Amino acid sequence: MIELTHVTKSYNRGRIKAVDDLTLAVKPGEIFGFLGPNGAGKTTTIKLIVGLLRPDAGRIAVEGLDIATRSLDAKQLTTYVPDFPAVYERLTGLEYLNFIGDVYGVPKADRLERIDKWLEIFELAPFVSNPIQSYSHGMKQKIVLTAALLPAPRVMVLDEPLVGLDPRAAHQLKDMFREHCDAGKTLFFSTHIMEVAEKLCDRIGIIHKGRLVASGTMAELKALDRTESGQSLEEIFLELTEP
Amino acid sequence: MSRLAMIGTVVRAGLRSNFGLAILKHRLLVEKKDRWLVPLVGLAFLGVVPLLYGVVLLVQNLYAALKPMGQERAILSFGFLAAQALILLFGLYYVIAAFYFSRDLDFLIPLPLRPGEVMASKFAVIVINEYLTVAAIVLPIVVTLGVVARVGPGYWVNAVLVYLALPIIPLAVVSLLVVVLMRFINLSRKKDAFILIGSILLLVGALAVQVALGRSASAGNGREIGANMAALTAFLTSPNSLLSRVGAFFPPGIWATKAVAAGFSGEGLANLGLLWGVSGLLFAAIVVLAEKLFYRGLVGLGETTGRKKRLTRDEMSRRVSSGRRAKAAIFGREWKIMNRTPIFLLNGTFVVVLLPAIFVLMATVGRGARSGAVGGAGTQVDPMALLKAMASGHPLVVILATALFMTVCGSINGTASSTFSREGAQFWISKMIPVAPREQATAKFWHSYLVAALGVATAGVAAAAVLHVGPPELAAAAGLSLLAGVLLTAVGMAIDLARPLLDWANPQKAIKQNLNVLLAMLADIGILTGVFFGVRALTRAGLGTAAVLGVLFAGLAALSAAGYAALLRFADKRYPQIE
Repeated sequence: MIELTHVTKSYNRGRIKAVDDLTLAVKPGEIFGFLGPNGAGKTTTIKLIVGLLRPDAGRIAVEGLDIATRSLDAKQLTTYVPDFPAVYERLTGLEYLNFIGDVYGVPKADRLERIDKWLEIFELAPFVSNPIQSYSHGMKQKIVLTAALLPAPRVMVLDEPLVGLDPRAAHQLKDMFREHCDAGKTLFFSTHIMEVAEKLCDRIGIIHKGRLVASGTMAELKALDRTESGQSLEEIFLELTEP
Repeated sequence: MSRLAMIGTVVRAGLRSNFGLAILKHRLLVEKKDRWLVPLVGLAFLGVVPLLYGVVLLVQNLYAALKPMGQERAILSFGFLAAQALILLFGLYYVIAAFYFSRDLDFLIPLPLRPGEVMASKFAVIVINEYLTVAAIVLPIVVTLGVVARVGPGYWVNAVLVYLALPIIPLAVVSLLVVVLMRFINLSRKKDAFILIGSILLLVGALAVQVALGRSASAGNGREIGANMAALTAFLTSPNSLLSRVGAFFPPGIWATKAVAAGFSGEGLANLGLLWGVSGLLFAAIVVLAEKLFYRGLVGLGETTGRKKRLTRDEMSRRVSSGRRAKAAIFGREWKIMNRTPIFLLNGTFVVVLLPAIFVLMATVGRGARSGAVGGAGTQVDPMALLKAMASGHPLVVILATALFMTVCGSINGTASSTFSREGAQFWISKMIPVAPREQATAKFWHSYLVAALGVATAGVAAAAVLHVGPPELAAAAGLSLLAGVLLTAVGMAIDLARPLLDWANPQKAIKQNLNVLLAMLADIGILTGVFFGVRALTRAGLGTAAVLGVLFAGLAALSAAGYAALLRFADKRYPQIE
C-alpha cells in the first residue's frame, strides 16, 4: 500500500512546483498506472515515494510506515526501477544481484530460485558472469528489474519500466506485474504507453503540472467524459492535460 | 554555420562543461547552494600568498646572484621547463580521459565534423585548461624577473605569446603518443588492463628519464645543490648541469627562455617563431593523425565484450552468495569498483604504492652516484645521509618524520575524499537500499582506511629500507600514522559527503578534477600543521620523548574517535538531504 497525503515538492527555492498538494492511495493488490506529459511531475512523485527526494510538505507512507520516520523499514519492503538503468557497470550481473540480495537479506535458497527464474525469463542467464558494462541498454534494464524482483518486495515502484525492453520481455514483465499484484502486493508505475495503462492497470492517475487531475479505474475515467462519445484513454489524457 | 564557427561552438561547450560553469552558475545564483565555497576558495587563495611571496623572494635572490655572470636566463628556463615537464607527466591522464572516455564524444561523433576537427576542439579545451597550471608556475617567475630586471616591452609581449604557446608542445607530444597507443589498445579485448599498463609504463618511463638525467647530472661534474648560493649557481650554470641536460632533452623550454629574454631582437623573434612554428606543426600532426587513427581507436572502446556462458546449477549455487552482512557487501562493492576502474585505481590505490616506490627509486639511484658523504659546497650532498645525520640521537624526530612520511603516503590521496562522488549516477542505489547511512559510511570508511593502511605499510617498508629506521621507531611511527589515518580518512569522507559530485560523465571528474580532493588535502595539511605545532609546544614545555609520544597517541586517538563518530552522525543527517 502506498499513501501520499498533501505532498508538495518544489525546486529552485519554491519557484518551480513539481508536485503540488498531491493526495493519492494505492491499495494492496493493485496495479496503479501513473500518466502525465513530460515534466508533469511523474518522476518526482516516484522519487518521493522511494525516498530519493524529500517532500517540502505532506506525508508519504508505504505499507503504513511513514517514510520520513521509518525509512529503513519502508525501504526493506520497497524496490524501485529508475527510468534510466544506471547500475554498477564494473560489476558482473551476478555480483550486482548478490549485492542486492545481501543488502536486502534474501536467504540463499530464495535467492537462487528467484535469480534462476528471472534470468531465464529475461534471457540473461548466459550473460550473468559478464560485466554490466558489456550489456545493451535493454539488458541493463532487465538486470535492474531482476534485482528489483529479487527481494520479493511488498511494493514495487517503476519509472517507465517498459522503455528499452524488447516485445517478449515487455510481455513477460506485464505478466509479472499481474502475478505480483495477485499475491496481494502493490505496484506503482509510470508510463507513456496509453494502451498498456488501459489494459493492465487496475487504476490510473493522471498528473498535470504537479497536480493530480484525475484518478480512478478506466470506467471511472470514462465517466469523466463530457462528450459521452466513449473516448479512449489517450483522448481523455489529451483532454485533461491540454497546455 | 562555417566549420570554424562550429569548432568554436564545440570548444565553448567543452569549456563550459570542463569548468562546470553552467552548473556552478545554477548552484550559486539560482539554487543558491554552495555559497559557503566562495569564502573558502578565497581563503585557499590567500593561503597561497605566502608561497608566492617565497617564490618572488627566491627569484629576486637568484637574479642578484646570477646577473653578474650573465646567467639570469636560467631562472626563466627553470620555470618554463618545470611547467612543461608537469604537463608532460600529468597531461597523460587528461588527454586519455578527454579524447577517449568523455561522454560528450557520444554526441560529438555524430556531428558533421571530421575526426581531426573533433580532436582539435578537444585539444583546444585541454590547452586552455592547462593555462591555469602554467600560470601558477610561470607567472610569478616571469613577472618578478621582468619587474626586477626592468625589462622593455619586447619581454612582456613575448612573455604573453610564449605563455600562450607553452602547453601546446608537451600536450601535443602526449596526444600523439596516446592516439597511437589507444589505436592498439582498442585491438585488445582487455582494454582496461591495457590502459592501466600503458599509463603505468608511460609514467615509469617519464620517471626513468628524470632519474637518468638526475644521475648523469650528479655524476657529471661532481657538484650539486649545496648549502650556499655558490653551489646553487654552479648547479644552474655549469655546462653539465641538470638544467642544460633537461633543456637539451626538451628544447622548447630553451626556445621559450630565449624568446622572452631576448625580446624583440632577432634572437627573441627567431626563438618565438621556432616555438610557435613547432607548436603549429605538432598541432597539424595531431589533426592529420586523428583523421587516420582517432575514430579507429575510439569506436567500440566503451564496449566490453563478454563471453556467452551459461553457468551450471553447481556453478550458480557456488557463486550465489549465501548472504554477507550489508557492510561487507558494500565494502566489497567499493573495493571492486575502485580497482576495476583504471582512473580510480591510478589515483587511489596505485598512488599509495607509487609514492614510496618513487622515494626508494630516487634514494637508490642517487646513492649509486654519490659518495654518501655529508658535506658543504663543493662536495656531494646525499639528502638521505643528511636526514639520518640530522635525526641521529633524536628518536622523537625519527619517529615523527617517519610517521609524517607514512601518513602522507597513506592518507594524502583521493580515495576517501571521492568515496561518495565516485558513485555518480548510481548513488540512487545507496539511497534506496535498506541499509542505514551510518552503516554505509562505515563500510566506505573501512575501504578508504584499508587503502591508507596499505600506504602506511609500503611507506614503512620504504623507510626501513632507505633510512634504516629501527623496528621500535617504525612501530611507533606506524601506530601514529594509523591513528592519524582514521582522522584524515573521516575528514576526507566528510568533505565529500558535504558536497558529493555525482553528476559526472567522465570518471576523471569524480577523483582527479574533484574539488573535494583538493579541499581534503588542504584540511589534511592544516591538521598535520596543527599536530606539528602541538608537538613543538610539548617539547618546548620540556616533556621527554616518551611523554610527548604518549600525549600524541592519546590526542590522536581522541581526535580520531571523535572524527569517526562525527562522520557517522553526519552520514545519517546528510544522506537523506542528497537529491
